[in-house]
Amino acid sequence: MDPLYLDHAATSPLRPEVREAMAPFLDARFGNASSRHRWGREAAAALEDARADVAEVLGVRPSEILFVRGGTESDNLALVGAWRAGRSRSAPPRLVTTAVEHSAVLEAARWLREAEGAEVRELDVSPDGRLDLDALEEALDGTPALLSIMSVNNETGLRLPVAEAAALARARGALVHTDAAQAVGKIPLSIAEASVDLLTATGHKINGPKGTGILFVREGTVLEPLLHGGGQERGLRPGTEDVAGAVGFACALRLAVAEQAESARRLETIRSSFGRAIRDAIPGARVNGSGGPRAPHVSSLGLPVEDGAALLMALDLEGVAVSGGSACHSGAESSSHVIAALYGPDDPMATVRFSFGLGTTEEDALAAVAVTREVVGRFSPRAARAAP
Amino acid sequence: MSRVLVAMSGGVDSSVAAALLVEAGHEVVGVTMKTFCYSETPAHGKTCCGLDGIADAKRVADALGIVHYVFDVEEDFTRDVIDDFVAEYARGRTPNPCVRCNSNTKFRDLMARGRLLGCDRIATGHYVRIEDGGEGPRLARGRDLSKDQSYFLWGLPAEMLPHLLFPLGALTKTEVRERARALALATAEKPESQEICFVPTGDYRDLLRRRLDGAHPALEPGAIVATDGRELGRHEGFAGFTVGQRRGLGGGFSEPMYVVEIRPGAREVVVGTREELGRDVVRVGELNWVEAEPPVPGARVSVQLRYRAPAVEAEVEAVGDELLLRLREPQPAVTPGQSAVLFTGDRVLGGGRIERAWRVSDVSA
Repeated sequence: MDPLYLDHAATSPLRPEVREAMAPFLDARFGNASSRHRWGREAAAALEDARADVAEVLGVRPSEILFVRGGTESDNLALVGAWRAGRSRSAPPRLVTTAVEHSAVLEAARWLREAEGAEVRELDVSPDGRLDLDALEEALDGTPALLSIMSVNNETGLRLPVAEAAALARARGALVHTDAAQAVGKIPLSIAEASVDLLTATGHKINGPKGTGILFVREGTVLEPLLHGGGQERGLRPGTEDVAGAVGFACALRLAVAEQAESARRLETIRSSFGRAIRDAIPGARVNGSGGPRAPHVSSLGLPVEDGAALLMALDLEGVAVSGGSACHSGAESSSHVIAALYGPDDPMATVRFSFGLGTTEEDALAAVAVTREVVGRFSPRAARAAP
Repeated sequence: MSRVLVAMSGGVDSSVAAALLVEAGHEVVGVTMKTFCYSETPAHGKTCCGLDGIADAKRVADALGIVHYVFDVEEDFTRDVIDDFVAEYARGRTPNPCVRCNSNTKFRDLMARGRLLGCDRIATGHYVRIEDGGEGPRLARGRDLSKDQSYFLWGLPAEMLPHLLFPLGALTKTEVRERARALALATAEKPESQEICFVPTGDYRDLLRRRLDGAHPALEPGAIVATDGRELGRHEGFAGFTVGQRRGLGGGFSEPMYVVEIRPGAREVVVGTREELGRDVVRVGELNWVEAEPPVPGARVSVQLRYRAPAVEAEVEAVGDELLLRLREPQPAVTPGQSAVLFTGDRVLGGGRIERAWRVSDVSA
């Protein structure tokens, strides 16, 4: 069997169209977008075209798009930048977020708490992706706040009720940030509808280049920069612009959004046959978050296996590339804060995330089920015996 | 071709072991065991934990084109090896942590996870051999007697032997270095590690102070006494001493003096002459037999009582849950807590932990 890449939520292969769009800027059109000469003007024009492109696809203004160097940077700029701007102007906002956020949000918030005295509330999320709206209201009451709620959870694919939470928050004058890294191109996404002030997206999850991303900053939203330098990106992200990256991001975003409906249908089909086959093959398997609304590209499994780290190694050796909770905790084993938040800290299941994307076929998904069944059988002979 | 799991510490020996297995055509899976945390803050596991070893092993694995994983055994290692190490010193004994690790942690985990990973065999870079003269696999000393590590492996369960490969068993250290250089392995010139892996500074007293209650008797001052009970001086805690030790006793003796016994109850360190150090009756506990049949009373065996000490002739007096050995000649520094490993020629029969040692004259008296 050829090795199977089923880890598209960790990162995804670069589309040929994107590579082609980027190529001139890695080559002859290498100019610095801040230079005033021909090379610089050419680069600046390409950068602004890319910005306009991204804005058009997202239905916002070009001036509201900041190019940054990836999702983590975008999340940090949103949280730290907005919190510090609030502190400078009046009172620092209370940070309200969920227990299942990506580490880039959770750790930024916790760092603000430890280092700068921020007040942080982490809201629970139920295994079907619901948020206790009463608790949210309570967390937002009585003080300026910044709500950061992810659109699609990276480990389970669960969709969180961003629009609903954002409406509540904005009614109380709070700012709203959403990390949409796993949502772009996977679910319909409308900034107008979701009514957020800040939105994070990253290139490499949508078959674009790594190290690229944006922060959407609604007009009138004030941020303090994290870096200080030459004033690029309205001074909010100084540093010589990555023109090739911006062009690649814009191209990947346009394609992902244009194809969203069709690819969602395709991935949904793959994921449902995968889920059915897993349930048939491995009694006791759980599909994490299956009771709630999910993005179509992730199937996170709780498998009845004690040694989750060895399970991932065994799958790798048999040619199936997947992740534990997320791909961020590599090296030695480490448990997932998301699964702990959804199913409790003593959840006995081993988490394996399968995620599908460009080029994944139903045959691939079913082949992965066969391998998983064989491998899980080594861990607990009982689990595989019941299968046909 | 079979799939082989090879334990790679990041040193030159296990690097070459992995390389030889690749050359032999096996599908090789490299693994480094993460055993402990220097900083003892597991929450920040990414910034500590023998990362140099892990990184070196990964580089070698990459160069060999094999996969490499990290097995986190910190919890088991702490319980089975570090806690035991501390407890033994606290009782006035001198532990062999590498033996504990091999017997309780390393090989068990490799076997268990190797099976889960679909591996047929487990390999390490130990200088020992598996011999098969037609009556099943037997564990034997490495060909390079100056590097032989059989002393550390007496705790292997006999049923593991058919699954073990020791690719360095027939090589000398010089040959291993040459192979590493010829293959341009990143670890070719890496110096030998002499220290206990979880005591990187070499000062185990530091570890004891951290892990024992500060007021533990093993760390409290006590008397240095002669064999006749006369107080000769004071010490700063008996955990700092080992039987056979000569240094650290202060000067002023008319002939060289050695620690001959530690009495934890009285917090006394007993010193005597080299003559007074000798022991020829040894009781050994926590036995394990690598060979299927344990030796019977009356059997003549050779026994190794310290790593790098030559094996000496002995007779088995009794064997059951414990083993009683009569040494042909009195031996210095027969130390409670150390391993006694029994051999027939080059073959490892098994071994145990030294519980007590006497002079035959004391026993018969």
